[in-house]
Formats: sequence, structure tokens, C-alpha cells
Amino acid sequence: DSHIQYERVGADVTMKCGSMDWDAAVTWTANGTDIDESHLNGSYLILKNVDLTQSGQYSCYEGSSWHLKYQTYLRVGTPPKEPVLMCRSNNYPKGFYCSWHLPTPTYIPNSFNISVIHGTREMVCEKDVFPKNRCHIRYIQLFSTVKYKVTLTVTNALGKNSTTLTFDEFAIVKPDPPESVVAKPVPNNPRRLEVSWQNPSSWPDPESFPLKFFLRYRPLILDQWQHVELSDGTSHTITDAYAGKEYIIQVAAKDNDIGTWSDWSVAVHATPWTEEPKHLTTEAQITETTRASTSSFMPPPTTKICDKGAVVGSGAVAVCWTAGLVLAAYGVLFI
Amino acid sequence: PTGDSWGIFTFLCAALCNLPALPALNCSEELGTSQSIQKTYDLTRYLEHQLRTLAGTYLNYLGPPFNEPDFTPPRLARAERVPSATVDLDLWRGLTDNARLAANYRAYSRLLCYLRALDGQAGTAELRHRLGHFCSSLQGLVLSIAGVMSSLGYPLPAGPLGPPAPPGTPVAPNDFLKKMDDFWLLKELQTWLWRSAKDFNRLKKKVPPAVVTLRLEARGF
Repeated sequence: DSHIQYERVGADVTMKCGSMDWDAAVTWTANGTDIDESHLNGSYLILKNVDLTQSGQYSCYEGSSWHLKYQTYLRVGTPPKEPVLMCRSNNYPKGFYCSWHLPTPTYIPNSFNISVIHGTREMVCEKDVFPKNRCHIRYIQLFSTVKYKVTLTVTNALGKNSTTLTFDEFAIVKPDPPESVVAKPVPNNPRRLEVSWQNPSSWPDPESFPLKFFLRYRPLILDQWQHVELSDGTSHTITDAYAGKEYIIQVAAKDNDIGTWSDWSVAVHATPWTEEPKHLTTEAQITETTRASTSSFMPPPTTKICDKGAVVGSGAVAVCWTAGLVLAAYGVLFI
Repeated sequence: PTGDSWGIFTFLCAALCNLPALPALNCSEELGTSQSIQKTYDLTRYLEHQLRTLAGTYLNYLGPPFNEPDFTPPRLARAERVPSATVDLDLWRGLTDNARLAANYRAYSRLLCYLRALDGQAGTAELRHRLGHFCSSLQGLVLSIAGVMSSLGYPLPAGPLGPPAPPGTPVAPNDFLKKMDDFWLLKELQTWLWRSAKDFNRLKKKVPPAVVTLRLEARGF
């Protein structure tokens, strides 16, 4: 008859050949391969300082008859380290979920037990089918002053460990990133990009629990991001893009009043509209081209540079306005 | 000291607390209702921010374990006198505008009262200064909510807005229990401010942004 045996990495393991006497003649095999007699002490198999590679099926056969006397499956592993637990409400005010994992593998099966205590009440955290290490709780009451205490216990054949999280209802609110982020050039506007997105679908009630958004963008060739915070609406027009440069754009979301910012959305790329070069076929068209290229030296209207959308620090505003005035004067020269 | 001082305390509280209940809003100025709601919303955010500093200072003054981050003392029956923001989810959703505003108004009126009592007993000058400032801002919030209710034509909640003191209840039998009361007061206040942000968000969406001109009658008291 066979069974499973769990042992710690580094332990010394002694396997007895079932009910055979110590001085019986036996042969041990590991995964079908004979084991050298040097590992035997009588009929006992001694494995010193076991490592993971020694996991496998061990069988003991009576010397002459080659009868299988004993079989065991050795699983070498470790007791669990303190698990990593995270709880988050991405669907406020419906409830929250907790997910967990072990920082290092144990190499043997583990079972998890989670308990959620709210004041004096113990709540049931319903385990999710997928992903496995996750469970969710539905809020019964809202705006609670009492903290939630979540304890996760990991147990395996070699030991157990646990961790506890204590938090307020509001502290764990973190929406999923915005969805369907789209960035498009604006025809005839070489410095604009129109960005739009949608509320994350997991956020159940954006009417009563509105989200605010954070947009960041930069041309691929630069490292520094520009940021815009938007308190409502799911679209924004960037008005200070560098002409002809490809941009990378991301959006994040947060409940208007509580909790923390979501992760950044999937990045989208877009390049502002650029004028199509004209084909030269007739002289008339050549003249047109010359005129067109002269006018392209005109600076863009000042309002587009110092728009609300651009990053504004108090110093930057002053520079902005000065730049605007200078360019306005410059522009006048070309009329 | 029990009987006499408790009686005086109750009387003072009742007097103090009924004072801001009837704002003399005989203003001929035009109040955009949605602007009032926005202003009230902004006030709750401001107060929430102020409270963070105030609570930190006050809890440090109370000393450990009150200033420990995971400290969750049990709620004793006496602490139930402080109005709780906790509410059943569906119930909260279904509140009428009037009920929603009234709940906020009642809660802050009582919380203000308790806070003022705290102010009288606070240990350090810095703490008294902070509490005093906060109480003024909180009173502004109460008035703001009253303004919104009036502009929407809702009557202000009647009745004593001070803490209903059952006769014979001692202020606090000992120092530790008193500190626990203080702890829960601050916690409930913080939760109410979080809740109010959501309450006023909901109200913002429901009240049309059209300007409502009102002539409010002078209310003497």
C-alpha cells in the first residue's frame, strides 16, 4: 500500500520497509531506479539533507522474492512563509475582495483559510472560482466606523503561518484602470490630440460615486510626463503636443473623495495631425506651395500654448504668458 | 462632580446647540441651489482635511493606545449617543433629498455640540486653538446645510439638537472611558465627513443647475 510522505528541505529522512525487520534483505528503488546500498541502514533507507530533486516514488522490495513490501511518495517541501495578503474595493460600494499568495513556493500542497471580522460580526468571504486565491465580500452596511480585520492562514503538512490586515472601509477603495482609452489626432490641428476613455466596467455606480481622472502623456522621444487631473468627464483634448511627434498616453481613475488611484490604463499611441505634402505638377501649384511653406512658419495661436490642459505651475504660467506675448508680436510681423 | 454640573452641562449644550439651528437667512441675495450644494460639498472636503490634522494631534494628546493606527476599542452603549453615519446600503440609496439633508444636519449639529464640550476640557493651548478653529468651520457646515434645506423648501429638523442626556448619566466614570468617548467622537465625525461627500454628490446630480431665486423670511429666535 502506498501513501504520501512530506518532509522538509534539509531534513534527514528514514524510511522503513513496512513491517519488515531491520535486518531483512531488501532493495529500495527511487522512481524505478535501484538505490545504492550505501544509503541503507539494514532495511531502512536513510536520506540525509533531502533536497527537492529527491521527491518521488520510493519502493521497497523483499530481497529474493521481489515482492513489493512498501511504497511511499516522498514530497520534499517547506513550511509556508508568511503569506502576502491584499484587500481592495474596486467596486465600491458593493464590497471588496481579498487576494493572496505565498512569497516563496512550498512545493507541496497548501490550504488557505480566510476569516473576516467586522466589529463583533464574522463575515463570510466567498471564494472566487477564478482566480483561485481570491474571495469577495458584499457590504451590508456603508460608511462604517468599525475596521475590518482579515486574517489569512496558510497550512500545509509541514507547518502553518498567517497574516492579518486591518483597515477602514474607505482606505481600500481603488478602482480598476479606465477602459477603452482612445487617442485621435484632430484634423487641421497639428498640436492637438483628442483623448477619450470609459469608466472601468467594475465600478458599479459612477452616478453616485463619481470618479475623477488623471491623464499623463509624453512624446516617445522624451522621458518626462505631463499630467492633467480631471474632476469630471471622460475625455480631454491635449493642446500642447509637439507637432508630428508620436505620443504615449495613459489614464488613471480614483473615487472623487476616498481611496487611492488606480493603476495606469493600457497605453495608447497617437500622433497629431500633420499637413499632407502637396505634389508639384504645375507652376501655379509651385507658387501655392511656396506660400504655404511661408505661412507654416507662423507660430501657432497663443491660446493653444497656454491652455488649461498644459502642465501649469505658478512659474510656468508666467513663462507661458511671456512666451505668448513674444509669439503674438512675432506673429504680427508675418501678417 | 455629578448631578449639578451635569445639569449645567446639559443646559449649556442645549442653549449652544439651538443657537445655530435658526440662521437669520433673510438674504435677498440669489442662491443658486446647486452652487450651495457644491459649496457644502467643498466644505465637507475641507473639514475632512482639517480633521486629519486635528485628530492626529488630539489622539497624541490622549496618548497610547488611542494614537495607535490599528486601535479599535469596543463600542460601549454610552458611545451610541454620538450619531453614526453607518447605514444600510439600500436604505442610503433610497433616502429622499429631504431625509438625506436632515440626517446630515442633525448629525453635524450634535457632533458640533460634543466637540464644543471637548474644547472646554482640552489640555493644551494648541489643542484648544485647533478645536476652536475646527468648531467654527463645522458650524459653517451646519449653516450651509441649513441654507440648502431652506432653498429647497425643506423645514429644518425640529427638536433639541443637543445630546439627549438621560437623567442621571454621569459624564464619564473614569478617565479612560472619557478618552474612549473622545476617540469615537472623532471617528464618527471623520466617517460622517466621508459620507457627506457622497451624500452631496448625490444631491448635486439630482438638483438641476438652474439658478433658484429665493426670498427667505427673517427668522428671529
